[in-house]
Amino acid sequence: MKYLSQTALRAGAVGVAVLAAAASMAQAEGKSVTIGLTSDPSHLYPLAGEELSSNIMYYHLYDPLVKRAGDLSFGPGLAESWENVDETTWRFNLRNGVSFHNGNAFTASDVVFTVEKARESIRPDLVANIASITAVDDTTVEITTPKPYAVLPNDLAELLILDEEYTTATGDTDMDLKPMGTGPYRLDQWIKEEKLVLKAFDGYWAGAPKIKEVTFRPITNPATRTAALLTGEVDVIQDLAVRDVDRVKKEGGFSVITRPSLLNVVLAMDMREESPTIEGKNPMTDQRVRAAIAQAIDVDAINKIVMNGLATPSDQYVPSSHIGHVDGMNFREMYPLDIDGAKALMAEAGYADGFTMTLDATNNRYVNDAQIAQALASMLAKINIDLQLNIMPKSNFWGYIRVPTENSSFIMSGWDVPSGDAGSMYGALFYSRGKKDGYGQVNRGSYSNAEMDALVDQADSTPKIEERDALLQQATKILMADVPMIPLHYEQDIYAARDGVMLEPRVDKFLWAYDMDVK
Amino acid sequence: MFGYLLKRLIQMTLVLWVVSVIVFLMMSFTGDPVFMVVPIDATDAEIAQARRLLGLDQSLLVQYGKFLTSLVQGDFGNSYVFRQPAMTLILERMPATVEMVLVAMALAIVVAIPLGVYAGANPNSRISRVIMAGSLLGISLPGFWVGMVLIYLFAVHWGVFPSSGRGDTAEFLGLRISLLTWDGWHHIMLPAITLSLGTMAILLRMTRAGMMEVGRQDFMKFARAKGATRRDVLYKHGLKNALIPVVTIFGLQLGDLIAFATITETIFSWPGMGKLLIDSIYRADRPVIVVYLMLVALIFVVINFIVDIVYTLIDPRITLK
Repeated sequence: MKYLSQTALRAGAVGVAVLAAAASMAQAEGKSVTIGLTSDPSHLYPLAGEELSSNIMYYHLYDPLVKRAGDLSFGPGLAESWENVDETTWRFNLRNGVSFHNGNAFTASDVVFTVEKARESIRPDLVANIASITAVDDTTVEITTPKPYAVLPNDLAELLILDEEYTTATGDTDMDLKPMGTGPYRLDQWIKEEKLVLKAFDGYWAGAPKIKEVTFRPITNPATRTAALLTGEVDVIQDLAVRDVDRVKKEGGFSVITRPSLLNVVLAMDMREESPTIEGKNPMTDQRVRAAIAQAIDVDAINKIVMNGLATPSDQYVPSSHIGHVDGMNFREMYPLDIDGAKALMAEAGYADGFTMTLDATNNRYVNDAQIAQALASMLAKINIDLQLNIMPKSNFWGYIRVPTENSSFIMSGWDVPSGDAGSMYGALFYSRGKKDGYGQVNRGSYSNAEMDALVDQADSTPKIEERDALLQQATKILMADVPMIPLHYEQDIYAARDGVMLEPRVDKFLWAYDMDVK
Repeated sequence: MFGYLLKRLIQMTLVLWVVSVIVFLMMSFTGDPVFMVVPIDATDAEIAQARRLLGLDQSLLVQYGKFLTSLVQGDFGNSYVFRQPAMTLILERMPATVEMVLVAMALAIVVAIPLGVYAGANPNSRISRVIMAGSLLGISLPGFWVGMVLIYLFAVHWGVFPSSGRGDTAEFLGLRISLLTWDGWHHIMLPAITLSLGTMAILLRMTRAGMMEVGRQDFMKFARAKGATRRDVLYKHGLKNALIPVVTIFGLQLGDLIAFATITETIFSWPGMGKLLIDSIYRADRPVIVVYLMLVALIFVVINFIVDIVYTLIDPRITLK
C-alpha cells in the first residue's frame, strides 16, 4: 500500500499549534472536547444506513475486525491477525479479552452474527464479498469469498461488530437509540438535533481514550458554526465555510486545517450510439471528441474562481494512496487546457460545428456544484458544444441518472473510494453493463471495453494484493487513454479548531476523538 | 355549541384527509426515497432489498391504503431515513419549537399592542412615525439576515448571548423545558427575538389601524365625555373593539411560527421540529412529511377554534353556531 503523496501530507496533516503550558494543567484529568458537526446523525445502528455524521458515531461506539487508520492504511482491529488458508478462505484470529460496553465478552459468534444480520439489513453491500462465515472456535473465524478477493480485509474495515445477545434482545429500531459496541466511547446522552454526548470506555482494548467526554453538536448553518467556534461554544468544527476561512485565520487563537478529500468530482460521458439528449449520432462515441471536451475544461480556472482555491485538480480516477493508482501519470498533462487543439480534434472527428447536449448536475450535493456546471457550459461553448444545464436537488438526481440512464448524456457526480482500492470503483463504473451481476451497475456512460472487463475480472480473482495493484494500474492506463470519464477535482475538507486541540483530519472525513487530544 | 363542535370535527377530518392525499401525490414527483438510503453503487438486488424493507415495493395506492389502515390503529408509520416512528421524531422535537414560539409571541404582544395603541391614538406624533417606520423594517428584514446579525453582534462581538443551541433544560411533566433554567432563557432570547420581529410588526400595524378606526366612533367621545380617563378610553373601550382582527392574525401567526420556524431553528441550531421538515423534504422522507403536515393542519384547526372562542369573550354579540 502506498502512502499519501508528499503534497497531501503537507497540506493536510498539519497538527494544531500548542498552547502555553499553563493551560495544560487545568484539565489534567477529565479532558473534554465539543465538536460542531454539519448535521445530527441519522443512526447509531451501523446496519440502519450510512451518512457522514452516523459514520463518525459508529467508529466511536463500535470496532471493525480490521482498522482503517486516518491515512487509509489498514491494520489489526478486533482481529489481531489474519491469513489466507487457500485462495478463497481467510482465517481471522480475534483479539482475546475484548468486552462490549455492557461487559459481554466479544467472541467469534458475534462476528458470525453480524455478517448474517448485515445480509438481511438495508446494507447487504457490507458483506457482498463474503460467501460464508464460520466460527472455528471462540477466537477464530473463517471467511470464504465467492472468488479470490485480495482486498477482503479492506472491506471488513467497514463492518462494525455487534453484540449478538444485546442486539437480538434490543431489536433494530431501539438499536438506533441504545447502541452497544466495543468501541472507545459509549453513548451517554443523545438529544436529537441538540447534542450527542459520548463518555470514554475505560475498558477499551487499545487503552483508555485521552479525551474523557466528547460532545457533538449539530450546527447546520455554516455561519453559525463559525460563530460557535469563535465564541468558544465548540472547540472544533467540521466544514468551515470557504468564505469564513480568512476570517478565522485572522482571529488569532484558532487554526484552519485543510486536507484533500477522497471525493473526486467526475464527468461521465455517454458512449452509446444514440444518446438521450443528443440529436442524431452520439459524437462522444469518438475518443477524439471526449479528449476535446477534456481539453476544453480549465480546471485551474474552476479551482480559482468557483472553488476559491480550495480544490485539488484530479490526476487520475483514484487518489495516489490507492491500489491501482499509476505513479507519475497525470490526466492534466495528458489532456492539458488547449482550446485550439480541442477544436482541431473536434474538426478531425467531423464535429467542427459542435453539437448540443444536456449536463445533469446537482445543486446541493457537492461544493458549489451548480456554479461548476455553469462554468463548464461557458468553457465547452468555446469548442462549439452548446451545453444545456439540467440542475436538480440530490433527492431527484440519483433516481434520474440511474442506470440504464434513460435521460442523460453528460453527468456530473462525485465518487470516493474509502476502501483504498480502485477495483470497486472500476468494477462499478467502467465494467460493461449487464454482463455480470454486481458489475457495471453504475456505468452511466455505457462504457464497454473487453480488455478493461478482463483486467477487472483478473484483479477480482487474484488473492495477491501486488498482482491486483498491477492489474488495476493497467486498467487505469486504459481508462486514461479511452477517457470514458473526465476527473475534475478533489474537494477539500476544511476544519477549524481552537488552539490547543490536536486534530489530524482523516482522509475519510470520519472525525475520531480517540486520535485527538486537547490542551 | 355541540353542533358547532361536530361541524368543526368533520371539517378537520376532511382537511387532514386532503392533506394526506396531496402529500402522497406530491411525493411521487420528488424523487425515489430509496436512493437516499442505499449506497451510491448499490446493485439492483441491494436496492430491491432496501425497497422491500421500507415497504416501497408496492404501488402508491397500496402504500396509501396501508398508511390509512395503520393510521386508524394509531400507527403513523416509520421514517425511511431514521427507521423510527415518524410521530415520535416530530413529538420529541416539538417542545423546543413551541417554547421558542411562545416566547416570541409573548415578546411580540408586549411590544406591539402598547406601541400600536399609542400610534393609533396619536397618528401624527413624531414618536408614532418612528414606530411605524420601525415596523416596516420588522416586516421587510428577512429572518435569516436578522438572525445572523444578532449572532454576530450579541454572541461573537459582545459575547452577551450564546450563538446557538438550547442550553440547560429542566424536566417538567416529562418534557424538557428550557424556560425553567437561567441558561435556557439565555439561549432562547436571540432566536425568540428573531422569530418575533415579523409578527410584532404585523400585530403593531393591525392594532394601529384598528385603533384609528375605532377612535372615530361616537362611543369613544361619549366615554371621554362621561369622565373616563384617557387610558381607560383607549384600552377598555378602544382596544377591545379593535382587537378582533388582531386576534385573528395572532392565531394565524402562532400556527405559522410553530409549523414553519425552520429558518430561525436552522440559524440558531435550535433543536426544533421545523428543521426536521426541511431535512425530510430534502431526503424525500414521505412518512415524516405526511405526519408533519397533518399535525400542522391539526394545530391550525385547534388554534382557529380557540380564536373563535376568544371572539365571543371579546365581543358578546358573537356566538358559536
